This record gives sequence, structure tokens and C-alpha cells, in this order.
Amino acid sequence: MTHVIPLDQLAPDATRPASDSSVSQATDPLTTHSPATIAALYAHIPFCFHKCHYCDFYSLVEPANSPHDRQKQFTHRLTSELHWRAAQTDLRPRTLFIGGGTPTLLRPPLWESLLDTLHQTRITQNVQEFTVEANPETVTPNLMTLLATAGVNRVSIGAQSFDPHLLHALERWHDPANVAHAVHTVRTAGISNINLDLIFAIPGQTLDTLHADLHAALALEPDHISFYNLTYEPNTPMTARLKNGAITPVPEHLEQQMYEYLLDELEAAGYEHYEVSNWAKPSRRCKHNLSYWTNDNWLGVGPAAASHVNGHRWKNAPHLGRYLASQDQPPTADHEHLPTARSVGEQLMLRLRLIDGVPHTWLDDHLPHDDPRHGAITRFTSAELLERTDTHLRLTRRGLFVADALIQELL
Amino acid sequence: MNIRNFCIVAHIDHGKSTLADRMLQLTGAISDREMRAQLLDGMDLERERGITIKASAVSVTYKRPLAQAGEKKKGGATEEYLFNLIDTPGHVDFHYEVSRALAACEGALLVVDATQGVQAQTVANAYLAVETGLELIPVINKVDLPSARPEDVAMEIEQVLGLPAEDCIYCSAKTGKGIEELLEAICDRLPGPSGDPTVKTQAMIFDSKYDDYRGVVVYFRLFNGMLAVGNKVRMMGTGRTYVATELGKFTPKMTPTKQPFSAGEVGYLVASIKTLDDVNIGDTITLDLDPADEPLPGYQQPQQMVFCDFYPAGDTQFDELRDAIDRLHLNDASFTYAPQSSDALGFGFRCGFLGMLHMEIVQERIEREGRTQVIQTAPTVTYEVAMTGGRTMQITNPADLPDVSNIVEVREPIVSVEIITQTESIGDLMKLCESRRGIYKKQQYLSDNRQILEYELPLAEIIYDFYDKLKSITRGYGTMDYTFKGFRADNLVKMDILVNGQKVDALSVIVHRAKAEHRGRTLLVRLKKEIDRHLFEIPLQAAIGGKIIARETIKSVGKNVTAKCYGGDVSRKRKLLEKQKEGKKRMKRVGTVDIPQEAFMAVLSVEE
Repeated sequence: MTHVIPLDQLAPDATRPASDSSVSQATDPLTTHSPATIAALYAHIPFCFHKCHYCDFYSLVEPANSPHDRQKQFTHRLTSELHWRAAQTDLRPRTLFIGGGTPTLLRPPLWESLLDTLHQTRITQNVQEFTVEANPETVTPNLMTLLATAGVNRVSIGAQSFDPHLLHALERWHDPANVAHAVHTVRTAGISNINLDLIFAIPGQTLDTLHADLHAALALEPDHISFYNLTYEPNTPMTARLKNGAITPVPEHLEQQMYEYLLDELEAAGYEHYEVSNWAKPSRRCKHNLSYWTNDNWLGVGPAAASHVNGHRWKNAPHLGRYLASQDQPPTADHEHLPTARSVGEQLMLRLRLIDGVPHTWLDDHLPHDDPRHGAITRFTSAELLERTDTHLRLTRRGLFVADALIQELL
Repeated sequence: MNIRNFCIVAHIDHGKSTLADRMLQLTGAISDREMRAQLLDGMDLERERGITIKASAVSVTYKRPLAQAGEKKKGGATEEYLFNLIDTPGHVDFHYEVSRALAACEGALLVVDATQGVQAQTVANAYLAVETGLELIPVINKVDLPSARPEDVAMEIEQVLGLPAEDCIYCSAKTGKGIEELLEAICDRLPGPSGDPTVKTQAMIFDSKYDDYRGVVVYFRLFNGMLAVGNKVRMMGTGRTYVATELGKFTPKMTPTKQPFSAGEVGYLVASIKTLDDVNIGDTITLDLDPADEPLPGYQQPQQMVFCDFYPAGDTQFDELRDAIDRLHLNDASFTYAPQSSDALGFGFRCGFLGMLHMEIVQERIEREGRTQVIQTAPTVTYEVAMTGGRTMQITNPADLPDVSNIVEVREPIVSVEIITQTESIGDLMKLCESRRGIYKKQQYLSDNRQILEYELPLAEIIYDFYDKLKSITRGYGTMDYTFKGFRADNLVKMDILVNGQKVDALSVIVHRAKAEHRGRTLLVRLKKEIDRHLFEIPLQAAIGGKIIARETIKSVGKNVTAKCYGGDVSRKRKLLEKQKEGKKRMKRVGTVDIPQEAFMAVLSVEE
């Protein structure tokens, strides 16, 4: 099935079929020069040297001595996609985020080629925040200097835990000491804004080991901390082991205590809680990720990367072979444009994840007076799961713990 | 004209419909090309489940070769026989319908599967046929199967039903083996109809259906007198009169005939009858100008044995449910329905059914044909309540049970259950029956390793999972049938269920006092499993007359929040939450608690 959406239908309120999950060669609202302003650009690097057992992101483990240098082919194709996009639209995002996979697995010459392209195309011209994801063991002085020179000003390090047993439970292979080395290396290269990704409720974890993990992280004084409750994603080895009883999950009441503990301790350590799983030092909130939660236009490049432009959502097909074989527009999948009422629900789902919540002005503009969701909001407010500040409607602390059950009713 | 009116009685899956189809094919009523599995079971549901829900009738002409056996050849002289084959529903729920279909015949083919042997349903229907005075031809079907044991099965038939083993006809409806022999036996061994065309008209209605163009189509067997188009007919039971506008036979299509019907014949009547409610199975048709003195014997009002409520669920509105039920009732007048309002579930319908299968079928047809979603409450039986002051009332809804102080006694329907099983399962089956307040009646050997077990049980104890339990104990081999015996008093009380402090009338049950605590506890444990955790704690309580006899608590949700929701996750997470929300829609909200359909049925599952 093929459909090209003309740009004149790209106004935010354009009515399109509710959902279409078919794979298509030409689904793309940005087919020629577009009036849409892209706030954020994401590039997906789909390589890992090991597939972590809890991870459901699209990534491939290439054999060390593979005769086909797919990294090179991939970088070439990615730069061609960037050139195509830049020619198509005025692509000058405020934020850039290169994630994966393990982006730092790309060899430095390939990085150079990628960074050159971003500059040649002037994609970097207005960039305020430029993040690269890194695994602790792939952070080298060379690469970091290269990145810093090219304008990368934020590095997100996948620490996950500092406890070897817990890392083992996640099938992560780095030495916990590498995290501190990596932080040091990044700073030495001149990149000051550092995020640490951490996980809690790992099988076997206790409040004590969580305390140790948190303080090991705080000791490194990161600017930003993402602390995720371990999620058993479908179709991951970890979930399979959970199902056949090989893993004992952390009981719910302990998960609750752990989250309570993190909320208290991180605030005490000077971090602002600004999203369900994200904390930052003042002015260090991740601008790129905020685009996801405030419904900005953002564009993804590389296989499996998702995009959102004026209410249209789609993703590049999660298939490296087909990505490499394509020209200009890569194969896409899961195109979706929601009718207004459902789109409002989706935005509530995203905006309520922010601790500040949803501005009253936004609700006034988007939620009609006769919308049945007002009833649910009133109910949740009187149950003290939602609360109104002067400017916003937001989750209470208790509401934060059960946000999904609430959001469900607002969809 | 030689006429043979007969039906086929058989256990489910013993090949009744295939045999009927094969006979139609051999008599030329349908071409080989038209031959498709179970031609008579026209409803989708019937084909899917392999059961006959509606009776049907087919008239075919059999050209019987006149030549002696061994000299048959094509083109030889033949004698014509008119076969009227009446296909009956085999299930116990439709006992009365079966009895009327049998009453329309002089003979019956008793079909038994050569690999399975005699089953409870076979026995029940065979007895019914014998009681009705029918001549039986035992037919052992599926003799082509490798595991067939026709001689043993013939012995079982002799043992249980007293039909000589050597009278059995061995056949295979699938391959056609033995079918000609069977057709000959129908001519030789079954009597033709008696009845006098010169006396006053008496025709029995043995079924009816609704046709969009003709209105009600009445299936009848003419016992005496004549019937012709233009006659003004009278239904003796209801007293209503109609003018016959069309008479005809099923060949198997409806084929109008011009000549009048004469005593002994089977056919259909169309007479501008608007609804099936106006036609009662078993009623007698006579001529309005020259009516018979008496109706034919055996007529009964349909007896609804099992009752439950239907409430609209999901996107279905009350009006849509009402339309769906109205429409189905045009096709099946044997279930009753009346508006019902429940404190917990709002507006719906209280419906009565002939039995459990009938209830399932009606629910499925309302949902499928009426495109609705319904919440069904747990089925209950009818109770007779003797009140102080001498009055007796019938209640079909536990919530209607009057205050204890006004009750002298509560009586419940008792059925006699016959179970046929391998001997090795007898012990466990007895345990099952005893645990359901059964009274042992008798035990009889069928063959070396198969027995008939008879118990008297309260109907309420067998309406839900008894049959499943029986099947699991007997590893699928056991079969059962039951007949209604009457009402009997016992120490029965109403147990109410409170969810979050609010009485849910649709969950009330009538239970035996001695079993109430145990029943209450297990019920609450089941409810706890069925009701999802909410954002608040939910107390569950069981009470008898205001006294709490059991309690449980459903804890509130502790933590339920998606950890990661970035660009690539948005659609997937939203769809997941939307799906969960959709699931909730199928539930009923009582106060602030969402209760799924399963919870309303949990009332019946009393075992741990």
C-alpha cells in the first residue's frame, strides 16, 4: 500500500485515516520542501556488540570480522538520508540526539563522515543541545575529542548499575569502574553536560543495593539522571525467563519503596524531578526528550527511527538490509494520524508524564467543554491523584505511581 | 400412496445428520452436487457445534425396486414410498420439542455410533420413542471405522433397550454402505400411518419457524381429516383462527402443493401468522367450521427451567439489546424475556430458557445476529416459595426471595440424572453427585465395563459445571441426561455479595444453609481473582440476611506507570493503554468498581 500525503494537508488539524500500520515505500509527510518546523532530530545507530537481555530497541550485533562492512554502508546510507532530508526541508533543529544501539561503536572515521554531513547540510546551525549516547566501555579520549570538536555538548552514558551482580542480571558486561572513567574522559574532552542512565527493580536488588547504586552515581556528579524502573518488554529474553519462572521479579511493594526512595533522595541531592523517570540539575533538563512529551515536530533518521510531524507519526522500517537497499526515502512503517479526540488523549498521556503537568491554557484550547474526560479529571482530582496548580494540571505524588491507570481513562 | 413418517434419534456426533443427508441423496431428493455436510442443520451455529437446534422435516419419494433381492437392476418396476423424515434436536434441553417430533411419527431410526456405543442421550430418546409407541429400527453407524465394534454395540442395544441384536442394521453414512438395506427396512419394518381422512381434522404442530416473506411457517402432522388451502383453521390451544394461504412439503426446499393434505401426511402451513408466540408446539390444528371435539393429547406449555439476566455491555445500548432480543424471539419463541432492572447493572432483561445449552445458544445468537455485547448473570433455577398465610410464589431471581420471616419453606427443582460411563469412573462420579446433594437411585451394567448410574440431584447443582466435571472425571467418555422430577423443600437461604460495601443484586445466590460459609468463601476468592485491582482498596463480603459470613480484600494498585516513553514508544504505549481501556468497557461498573463478565459467572463455580 502506498500513499503520499500532499503537503497542503499537513496542517495540524488535517483529518487522515485513524491508523495505518502497513509498511510503505513512500509514506512521508515531508516529501518536498515543507513548512513544518522540525524542533528535534534523532539518528538511530543500530549496532551493538552485545544484545542486552532486557532491551527491545532495534539493534544488531555484527560479527567482529564480518566480511561485509555494514557499519560503513550504514553510515554512507545515513548521510545520504540526511542529505535528502536537508534538501527537502529547512532542517535546522534545536536539538540533535544520536542514539541506538550503541552509537559509540561506530569507528571514528565513520563518525567524522557523519558529523561532516551534519555540518555541510547546516543541520547543526541552530542546535543548542547535541547528545550522543555512549556505553561506558566505548568512551575513548579520541572519540570524545572528535565529538566535542564537532559540537556535541551532551553525553548520555548507559551505566544501568554499579553492582556487578545486578549488571550480570541485566546481561551487561562492563566493569562498573568504567563508568567513572567514562565520565572523566567525557569531561576532559570538554563536554560538561552528562547524563547517567540507571535502572532500578532489577531482580535481586534490595533497598540497600539501590542506595549504593544511587550514591555511586551521585558521586560522579552527573548533570542529569534517568532512573528507570526495569520494564519487562514483550519478546525479550528477560521476559521469557520471567514467564518460565527463571527470574523472580522485585515485588511491587518494594518497587514502590524504591521509587519513593529515589524521589526523596534525588531531590535532596539537588536534582529536579521533571518527568516520571528523569531528574536534572537546574537548567539541565533534556531539551531533546522534552520535544517528545510536548508534541513538537521531530524527525528520525536511520532504521527503526520514529518521526512525528504535525500529528503524523511513522517510523523507518526496522530492517537494516532494506534500509541499505533504499534510496532517498527509506522504507517506512506504522503510519498513523489520529482523529482530534484521540490525538488529545495521546498528548495528555505524554504531557502528564511531566511533573509540571499540562498547562490549563492547553486544556482550555484542546479539551472541549463537553468532553467526557472532564468527568474523569474531576474524579481523579477529588481522589487526589491529580491536582491543579495556578498554571497546570498535574499528577500528585500518589498519582505518579499509578499514572498508567489514570491516563487510560483520559485516552 | 405408501407413507412412512419417521425420525432419527441419536447421540450428538453419532452421525444423525450425515445419515439423513445420505438418505436424501440416495432417494434423489438432492443431487450429488448439492450434497454437503449436514444439509438439515441450516443454521451456522448448528454446523459449528454439530448439533440440531431446530427440528426440520423433509419429504422424499423412494422408488422401491419391486424385483426380488438379487435380481435388482436398473429400469425395473418400482413402487413409490413417501418418506417424511423429521429431524429432531437431540439435546436434553429440547425434551418437549423432541417428544412432539416423535409424536408426529410412527417409527424411529435409533442411530448408535459403532465406536462409541450407547450413550445417555440415546437411552433417554429411545425410551421416549418407545413410550410414544414408535417402532424402532436400531442402526449401527460408522461401521467403516477401524475401531468399530458393531457386535458389542448391538449387544448393548439389546441389553439396555431390549431390541434384539440381530435386528440392528450395520451401515456407514459416510461410505453409503448399508443405506439401501436401511431404506428397505423403513418400508418393511415401520408401519404406515393410521388415521381417518373422513373424520374431523386434527393436525399436530411439531415445530414452526419464522420466514421473512411468509411470516410463521407451521410444521404439522395431519392425524385425521383433510386440510386444504383456503380452509379457516383454528389452533385449539390458543383458540386463534387463521386462513390457510399455502400448504406444502419440504423437498427439502419449501414446495407448495395444490392438492389437499390427507390424514397421515406431513407438511407445512402458512396462514399470515405474525409471530411465533401465536403458535405453540404440540397444539392441535382443526377446521374452524367443523372443529374436532378434542385436541390431540400431549400438549404442554414450554417449560423454562433456567433463568438469567442479560444487560447491555460495551457500546451496546439498552434499545439495541431489546431490538436484538425481539428479533431473535421471532425465530425462537421458547425463551421468555421481561424487562429487568438491577441496582448494580441497570436496565436489562430477565430471560428464561429450556436449559443451559439453550441459554448459551440464545446468548450467542443475540450477540452474533444482533451485533450486541451482553453481560450475562449466573443462571439460576425456579424456586417455589411457600409463604406464611398459605400463598406459594415462584421466583426465578434470587434477589426476589422474600424476607425470611415470611417464608415457610423454599422448594427447588429436582431432576433425575442418568449417567453412562466406564465402570472405573463410577466411584469418582458418585463422589461428585454426593457433593452436590445427590440421592443415589440405582446402578446398572450396560456391558462388561460400562454402567448406567442414576441419581436424583437438585437442578441448581448441575446447571453450571457439573457436565464439565463429569467429562473430566470420565476423560470425555461419560454422557448424561436428566428429566425433571418435581420440587422439593430444603434448607435454602439467600446469600448476598457486597462489593466495596455495595450489594450487587446480580451476584446474589440461593444456597443450602449448611454449605453457605464454604460457598461464600470460595466465591469471594474467585471474585478476587476476576476483579482487577483498582486505584483504591475493595472489600468483598458475603452476607446472609445482613450477617457477614465471609470477607476478602482486593488491594489497590501500588505502582503502574510506564518507565520509558520516548519518540519510538508513543504509538505502542498508547495502543496498549487503549486496549486495556477497551477491555474495561466490556465490564460493568458497579459504584466505582469495574466487574468483568467472568465475575458474574463465578457465582456458579463452587469448587476450589
